[in-house]
Amino acid sequence: MIHFRPVFFVIGILLTTLAVVMILPALVDGAAGNPDWTVFAASAALSLFIGVSLIIGNWAPHFNMDVREAFLLTTLAWLVAAGAGALPMAFSGLHLSFTDAYFEAMAGITTTGSTVIVGLDAAPPGILLWRALLQLLGGAGFMVMAIAVLPFLRVGGMQLFRMESSDRSEKALPRVAEVASGITVIYLALVAIDATALWIAGMSGFEAVCHAMTTLATGGFSTTDQSIGHFHSAAIEGITTVFMLLGGMPFVLYLQAVQGKPRQFFRNSQIRGFLGLYAAAVGTLVLWQWLSGGESLAQALRDVSFSVASIMTTTGFTTVDYQTWGGFAVVTILFLTVVGACTGSTAGGIKIYRLEVLYSTAKAQFHRIVQPHGLFVPHYGGKPIPDQVASSVMGFFFLFALTFATLSLALGASGLDFLTSLSGVATAMANVGPGLGAIIGPSGNFAGLPDSAKWFLSLGMLLGRLELYGVFVLLWPEFWRG
Amino acid sequence: MIQLRPIVFAIGVLLSALALLMAIPAVVDWLSGYGRDASTFAVCAGFTMFVGVSSVLATGGGDSEFDIRQSFLFAGLAWLAAAAFSALPLAFCNLRLSTADAFFEAMAGVTATAATVITGLDSAAPGILLWRALLQWFGGIGMIAMAIAVLPILQVGGMQLFRLEAAKAGRRALPRAAQILSGVALIYFVLTTVCATALWAAGMTGFEAVLHAMATVSTGGFSTSDQSIAHFRSAGVEIILIVFMILSSLPFLLYLQAMRGSPRRLFADGQVHWFIGIVAWAVAVMTYWLWRECGEPFITALRESAFNVVSVVTGTGFTTANYDSWGGAAVAGLLFLMVVGGCAGSASGGIKVFRFQVIYETANAQIKRLIQPSGLFVPQFNDRPIPDAVATAVMGFFFLFAVSFAMLALGLSLTGLDPLTSLSGAASALANVGPGLGRVIGPSGSFAQLPDTAKWFLSFGMLVGRLDLYTVLVLFLPAFWRG
Repeated sequence: MIHFRPVFFVIGILLTTLAVVMILPALVDGAAGNPDWTVFAASAALSLFIGVSLIIGNWAPHFNMDVREAFLLTTLAWLVAAGAGALPMAFSGLHLSFTDAYFEAMAGITTTGSTVIVGLDAAPPGILLWRALLQLLGGAGFMVMAIAVLPFLRVGGMQLFRMESSDRSEKALPRVAEVASGITVIYLALVAIDATALWIAGMSGFEAVCHAMTTLATGGFSTTDQSIGHFHSAAIEGITTVFMLLGGMPFVLYLQAVQGKPRQFFRNSQIRGFLGLYAAAVGTLVLWQWLSGGESLAQALRDVSFSVASIMTTTGFTTVDYQTWGGFAVVTILFLTVVGACTGSTAGGIKIYRLEVLYSTAKAQFHRIVQPHGLFVPHYGGKPIPDQVASSVMGFFFLFALTFATLSLALGASGLDFLTSLSGVATAMANVGPGLGAIIGPSGNFAGLPDSAKWFLSLGMLLGRLELYGVFVLLWPEFWRG
Repeated sequence: MIQLRPIVFAIGVLLSALALLMAIPAVVDWLSGYGRDASTFAVCAGFTMFVGVSSVLATGGGDSEFDIRQSFLFAGLAWLAAAAFSALPLAFCNLRLSTADAFFEAMAGVTATAATVITGLDSAAPGILLWRALLQWFGGIGMIAMAIAVLPILQVGGMQLFRLEAAKAGRRALPRAAQILSGVALIYFVLTTVCATALWAAGMTGFEAVLHAMATVSTGGFSTSDQSIAHFRSAGVEIILIVFMILSSLPFLLYLQAMRGSPRRLFADGQVHWFIGIVAWAVAVMTYWLWRECGEPFITALRESAFNVVSVVTGTGFTTANYDSWGGAAVAGLLFLMVVGGCAGSASGGIKVFRFQVIYETANAQIKRLIQPSGLFVPQFNDRPIPDAVATAVMGFFFLFAVSFAMLALGLSLTGLDPLTSLSGAASALANVGPGLGRVIGPSGSFAQLPDTAKWFLSFGMLVGRLDLYTVLVLFLPAFWRG
């Protein structure tokens, strides 16, 4: 039997926290004289009420959570957080439908950054702040989950990131808590630095804070409809590029660097792979843009380095419509969309570390084919990859492809064209933001999609954020039995 | 160092056989009054024969057992040489194809892909049409022979699951394998004959019937008309082709076992179940989509969806309708069906059904292990446990397929093609299907207008796809050439 009490208890804590955070936009709207503050206050009260009742109703001195409850909790937590996050949006002055509000909240909490809201420039500050806060919380929640929960659940090869001491369960908790809080501090510090830099570069204080939050969360919600393109500032684009890349790298390494082991940072194979791929993609696309005569070298470098960083780190800010760069750029960006950045960051996608494991395994296989009696062990970061890890990574890859195919068929069935379906699913599952094509491309918006498509995309965002297995496990009959 | 002598010898034999084959279209063209094309074929045959016989003579004699590296090299070179020399008549005949076009067409032929650069097939000389069909037919049986006898021993992409029981026993394996292969070849021939007779009875001319039967049983898909099967406007022809496309995508080894008195195995085989299941589902869903969403009458929807879905899944590539205009879901669905392919042990291309079975079973066991970390879950294939090495190899194949697909699509888009053409062209070539999607290379288009670079990329893609990726890509490994 699955014990629901501890699950509901934690959900209660989550709702209470969200309720407390909702007070911030209420205050901002109140200060700006916008009537939306009542909506935030009411939503906060409702969330607080449900949260506290769950806590009280399921209180017990002792909690024991096993694997199943942890799985159930992770999925429920994101679903409920999106639901609570949708409340203020649905009742605010924007008058979003329930579908739209849920989609927007899911895009916030999963740090995807696809938006259905048109007219952000004129939107009340409370809503803008709330969207940024959702991404900030979602990013932090995801990192903590990646460090504390996923490795224990052995999801998609994440057991490779088990912390050394975490096998002995008694001692594990304090150490994990320590690391998690260290990472949170670094995350917030980076947000503060980014916000200051953006403010100096010419944003207003409010814009700077909102953008800093969505940058480090690799979320990509902006305060204007034209995203970063609105500011027409090379400095802002440069700063954002740097902080997007920082947001896409493993935060544990920042912690180690702060604790006096900065060398680890550059020795990490994930970071090398990530930066190498980034440089290669930027180099190729700059060359392509420059040679095809579309832009000057400097302009091409500026546009490409920003857009590729935004796509690879799964942030989803845009400055230009990269679809005008031609077929090669579109195909490249479609593939980069699903690649994603490093594990242990706020970014989504398949992730560099999985690709490295796959590459290493494939290489060993090739060698084994040539020399059937030779011994070839795939390595990751200087250590042999256990068979279990290799096969869960490959299983992840297959599930990703299968889910991708199924969801894009579903989107096609709701009436979308080929490129919109394919890129929409890719962008949702990798938690990037904008897709390709005329409707959901970088200069488009998700508002025009049919409701069924929005639900499919919300599901895709959730699946992608929980590394697929987290949700799929719940669909197996064995999960609920025995 | 790799000993090249036995490889050159075997390729010489192959080329001599190819030269003999070229005599057939030469005779046909001569009899039907296309003297110029007949002499082209005769000259090409002479040249191929000369190259083949001199390679045989120069390297003949001695022991010609292949070791593993030689097998890989031979497999890659054999298809390459076959394509190159079969391109000769195409390049010098009346159609005046460029080098890139002729090679592309020949590669599409021997890999049983239905991608064609020739427009005006209806008025083409019979010799050329026959040559294209012969290429597919022999390419198809070559693929089956490789899938039964060679790939399992090379342990490529999980094919070791299909090792013949006797194959491990070294030298004695050879006569047994030869026996099996001749049995399979006989079945292949019989299927073609039956298919041709049926098509003829359904109203095709004898010539068309034979050519289409060859293109069907090899899941190749070259037709004698620019409109492919739509040209015949005959439900009878379509039904016959549907049946034979499906029959040709089942493992041929099972037919042999069925003939030898265990027909049950054909119906008990997991791969066959899955394949039929996938086809049935896809046809049903596509019919519903065409009927409900596109507003076609039910019968037309069923007819069009059954034929084109079967053609795409089996990697044949015949068309009766312009499925490009079926809407987003249909186009996306067909793109994914393209890469699925038929069963291992047939002439069909793609990822192949057994790999999906293995991955599904492995993923299923993995998820159960997540729920009960201490439980023991062993994935099974046809009631036997799947060895870890097979599961890893299959998943590695899947990853490699995705990477090859991405690289090929990127390469195609670099030549200036639009995203849909690049993506579907790459999928179609790797899975040896034929037509892609979109206006340029879709069912109503042709590969003729593509830039030459794109044609070379696609030819390479067809070769890589046909040889189950590993067989070709392993040649690019430095370690392969060392030691």
